[in-house]
Amino acid sequence: MAGAEAAGDAGLGSAAAQEGAELAAVIGATVPTGFEQTAAQEVQEKLGSASRISRDRGKIYFEVPARSLPQVHRLRSVDNLFVVVQEFKDYQFKDNKEDALKDLEDLVKKLPWTDPLKVWELNNSLKKKKTKRKKHSLQSPASRGKLSDGGEEGGADQNSTSDQEDCAQNPVSVEPTDGQDTENPQGVTSRNGVEEEEDNEQSDVKAGVQASSESGTKAGEGEAKVLRFRVTCNRAGDKHSFTSNEAARDFGGAVQEHFQWKADMTNFDVEVLLNIHNNEVVVGIALTEESLHRRNITHFGPTTLRSTLAYGMLRLCDPQPTDIIVDPMCGTGAIPIEGAAEWPYCYHIAGDNSPQAVKRAANNISSLLRKNESKDSSTALGVPLDVIQWDICNLPLRTGSVDIVVTDMPFGKRMGSKKKNWDLYPACLMEMGRICTPGTGRAVLLTQDKKCFAKALSRVGHIWRRAQTVWVNVGGLHAAVYLLRRTWERADETRSFW
Amino acid sequence: MKLLTHNLLSSHVPGLRPGGGFPLRIEAAEVRERPVPFNAAFVSRLVPRLRWDALREAAESLGRPSELPPEPTPGYEADEEFLRRLHHVLLEVEVLEGSLQCPDSGRRFPISRGVPNLLLTEDEA
Repeated sequence: MAGAEAAGDAGLGSAAAQEGAELAAVIGATVPTGFEQTAAQEVQEKLGSASRISRDRGKIYFEVPARSLPQVHRLRSVDNLFVVVQEFKDYQFKDNKEDALKDLEDLVKKLPWTDPLKVWELNNSLKKKKTKRKKHSLQSPASRGKLSDGGEEGGADQNSTSDQEDCAQNPVSVEPTDGQDTENPQGVTSRNGVEEEEDNEQSDVKAGVQASSESGTKAGEGEAKVLRFRVTCNRAGDKHSFTSNEAARDFGGAVQEHFQWKADMTNFDVEVLLNIHNNEVVVGIALTEESLHRRNITHFGPTTLRSTLAYGMLRLCDPQPTDIIVDPMCGTGAIPIEGAAEWPYCYHIAGDNSPQAVKRAANNISSLLRKNESKDSSTALGVPLDVIQWDICNLPLRTGSVDIVVTDMPFGKRMGSKKKNWDLYPACLMEMGRICTPGTGRAVLLTQDKKCFAKALSRVGHIWRRAQTVWVNVGGLHAAVYLLRRTWERADETRSFW
Repeated sequence: MKLLTHNLLSSHVPGLRPGGGFPLRIEAAEVRERPVPFNAAFVSRLVPRLRWDALREAAESLGRPSELPPEPTPGYEADEEFLRRLHHVLLEVEVLEGSLQCPDSGRRFPISRGVPNLLLTEDEA
């Protein structure tokens, strides 16, 4: 069916979208590493589909009717979505670089693009209802299809094919960069990202010139327009003879040949994903443009937690209706805000000792309320959430009054210091134990300082038992989320409380 | 600050008698009412966890004395009118400006823009 994908039909219209709705789509979702299970649970709950968790961490796959796309987009544990074109569980790469790359090029015309493209088209018609796309000004090029004038190719190459992992594209970060924890599991990315950006300037201009010399209106707006695309390749494994950049480049070249689309790194319609994890290869088409994980937060702080991670942590403690959930070190309020949005029949309390944090949390809540306001013409509805300024080591809460404590404990590196954690952690655990209901209470705590935490936990064994540990990746740092259960022992009566 | 939160708060000024920090006395300068979606089961399950007298006192101090009975009457779980009134008092009335006073020590904690500041000074802690 190569003809159907030729330039003339490249502007898929609403008929294709209608057809798309009838299809069963295999969707791939990226989730915070470590929370694949909780994401799978959310998918089961909300979409009724079982998920496969791939060995390539941080991804799950599930099948849904394409008409369920709106619900798929509303999943809270998911960062990005794509529709799978084809998966190869055990792809044999040739040892020789040229041969391996040639195989990838040849693969393009054999892939079943038709149905996934219909799903992509359907997804587009959903997106049109939202605000127009912002330009991705901070990205560096993933690849370029072969530009007809031979273009720039060498400049942004990865340096070494013996790297364990590399990614030919920076993680997207559209908001102001005050130290966001964008997931960065591949150590080399940021370094190469800097190099790539310099080359980007020139090639951007070239691509820009090329694009504007065509009739540059977007595809799908009535007439048949040439689609613009780019390829993003993520590669992990130490046995490949090629880099992600090379794969993206050559695969992209073949895509361009096959579809007669135009390569464009910044203003693309179609983002083709080429995910290579050892011998597992997945080809997909992106359904989201920017990570969903900043949804709730408009006022950032230095260590704002991703909403998807906050959601995962909350799910872990299995909130029951009427549970009282406290984040005693809430920062900008990521966790309680996610909590109030997803678990409106619990009561959420956010607290912090820093006046800036408290102010930002309150502002983020106001922003959330304003969003509700526009949907509902009358006064904005309130949310079951309060903010308090307090000291974690001396919480002004009645003993045993709270069901769940969820928080992002200070990491040694960005906030506080390792030395402070040594004193802080045991005091925190004691206080959290005191306010928590004996027997049924639980805590979900994220920390990078695992040694300090383990030591502190061993001192409060009469109050907390470790129930589960999830290893996660936060801004390139290896952290852990601990699920703790409160023992039946009542808190020590050494202070004035009930 | 909503009254449900207030019901959970206790002063932690050092050296108080046991229980001497609860309940904090509300002095409200600005109060706002804002609707919150009602859920009967939610409100009903909260009842056993609340300090009822403190809640009534708080409602009274905000000028809403007649909203709540002296005690939750048996069968309250099915009494929707009662649950709605309780819902209103717990979740829909917010203190935006004012202070909270520790009953034993008299120490006042400010409430500003809906956020109570319960930090102790270095000397106090």
